[in-house]
Amino acid sequence: MSFSFKGLLSDRVPLEEGGGKERILPLPLTIAGIAIFFSIPVIFKVTGLSSAMYWLEVLNTVGLYAILALSLNVILGHAGMFNMGHAAFFAVGAYVTAILNLTYGWSILSTLPVAGLAAGLFAAIVAGPIIHLRGDYLLIVTIGIVEIIRISLTNNIFGVTGGPNGLMGIARPTIFGFKIARPQHFFYLIWIVVAITVTLFYWLENSRFGRALKFIKEDPVAAEGIGINTTRYKLMAFVVGAIWAGFAGTLYASRMRTISPGSFNFEESVLLFTIVILGGSGSQKGVLLGSFLIIGLPELFRGFQNSRLLVFGAALVIMMIFRPQGLLPPKPQRYKLPPPWDKMGQNGNSSQAKVSLSKKDD
Amino acid sequence: MLLLSLNNITKTFGGLVAVAGFSARVNRGEVVGLIGPNGAGKTTVFNLITGSIKLDAGFVFFSGHSLSGLRPHRIVKLGISRTFQSIRLFPHMSVLENVLSGCHCRMQSGLFAAIFHLPRQRREEKMVLNNAMNELDFVGLASKWNLKAGSLAYGDQRRLEIARALATEPKLVILDEPAGGMNDKETEALTGLIENIRKRDVTVMLIEHDMRFVMHVCDRVLVMENGALIAEGTPEEIQKDPKVIEAYLGVGEED
Repeated sequence: MSFSFKGLLSDRVPLEEGGGKERILPLPLTIAGIAIFFSIPVIFKVTGLSSAMYWLEVLNTVGLYAILALSLNVILGHAGMFNMGHAAFFAVGAYVTAILNLTYGWSILSTLPVAGLAAGLFAAIVAGPIIHLRGDYLLIVTIGIVEIIRISLTNNIFGVTGGPNGLMGIARPTIFGFKIARPQHFFYLIWIVVAITVTLFYWLENSRFGRALKFIKEDPVAAEGIGINTTRYKLMAFVVGAIWAGFAGTLYASRMRTISPGSFNFEESVLLFTIVILGGSGSQKGVLLGSFLIIGLPELFRGFQNSRLLVFGAALVIMMIFRPQGLLPPKPQRYKLPPPWDKMGQNGNSSQAKVSLSKKDD
Repeated sequence: MLLLSLNNITKTFGGLVAVAGFSARVNRGEVVGLIGPNGAGKTTVFNLITGSIKLDAGFVFFSGHSLSGLRPHRIVKLGISRTFQSIRLFPHMSVLENVLSGCHCRMQSGLFAAIFHLPRQRREEKMVLNNAMNELDFVGLASKWNLKAGSLAYGDQRRLEIARALATEPKLVILDEPAGGMNDKETEALTGLIENIRKRDVTVMLIEHDMRFVMHVCDRVLVMENGALIAEGTPEEIQKDPKVIEAYLGVGEED
């Protein structure tokens, strides 16, 4: 499956002419865009938009899904592992936070690291035996994992999950004595976490670790044969993704104040999977765009309530046929060579541009 | 000094005996050729050394370590790296990144250093880019560092695979048909490259069908037929060996 994706990718992505113009937007515009985005709550307040709270909630939901999808992107996008059970790790994080808060009276923020670690540990335990599975086989087992979690939660496992009703009355997070309760507060909390996630995962992607995942995705046999411990890296990618999903679980639990097994079902996992694939597997920009489209857009079309899923499905099918690499597929990584090599290749910074040049030479 | 010793290694695939009790030794600093007719089991021997397939019987020792049961990445770390008969680069990634994949096993920084972009990770990254470029320069591909590996000409892809193997800082490189698909000029350049690899105190083992090339670059040649060693010696000795001639040309029918 993944091979056909790549084949299409290399055929259909137009080669860029000339080098050095890869940015969609120049840096100042990007910064301005981010600044405007972060002042949305202020703008809403100044303009007195009547449905402001509703739209802020939508943006908060988009942000939460973005964090989840970015964490799935490490597993699915970079390492190429078909994990359709990501909601399971999200659930572990949310329930750990809820239980620690409700039963033991921990503050929400202090549960955050524990929730992440619990989700990571859970991932290490369940993924260990299945990490060697390829493609669709892994996908099926991960569906099993998310179902096991949902059913265990429903059956009130260990008597702490509250059964099908879930857990209620989870506290709001407090930062330096400031209680985060209103949608605009959550907006900043969630989107700052999104920004941190994007930064850290960007660094992760552009490192030895991130490269190892890309090699594994491209050809696991060659990667192992050139000295990469493929099993270890795949497992680590899984655990990192799960830890982040656990963090998202903490945010979710304190935002909703009530969690129940129904929120962590198979459909959630499919949704996250879709965000990554549709947005652009392996590309953070793509995943962010995917979150807006898949979570935000349906809110705009609430009017079509009944046909929403139909339109959605059709859009996905069309995407898979005409742009299987996603809306914003990842760009080739750019390297800044240290001296004395920095004089080299100044005539074209983009590898794709140089590919097209060399083709002309042939 | 003995670097690699193969003791009675055996591998069967179903009913087919691919390698049958093959024994050989490789000394440090040598260039050793492994030749034989198609299906003799040469590539299987390479796969057994590098751990891509598991031994059925026998032992492989490499500079004091037994390689039995080790996974390929551990064997690379011990100092054996290889190229593949059918080129196995990462075709959608850049030439530089392909070499960086070889550098991986000599790097230190882990997950924590990467995700928090620590100074030591950045220092290492800079150092490794320099190393990778040196390897590309060594095989003459430095100017093509930013091309997609899959877009390179065939001969260049072979050389890139060698650069990637050398980036693992091996004691022994195993080249599976390095001259395969190369024209005469490229093969000649490859001869020089292998000389230079030897000068770096890297031992070379290679499979090749181009006999002129083998006789030219190898110090010693091992000849395989039907999974077993049938002859061993300098290129001159091998060329005269009746068993080798028989294996390649068949036996004349006697009336």
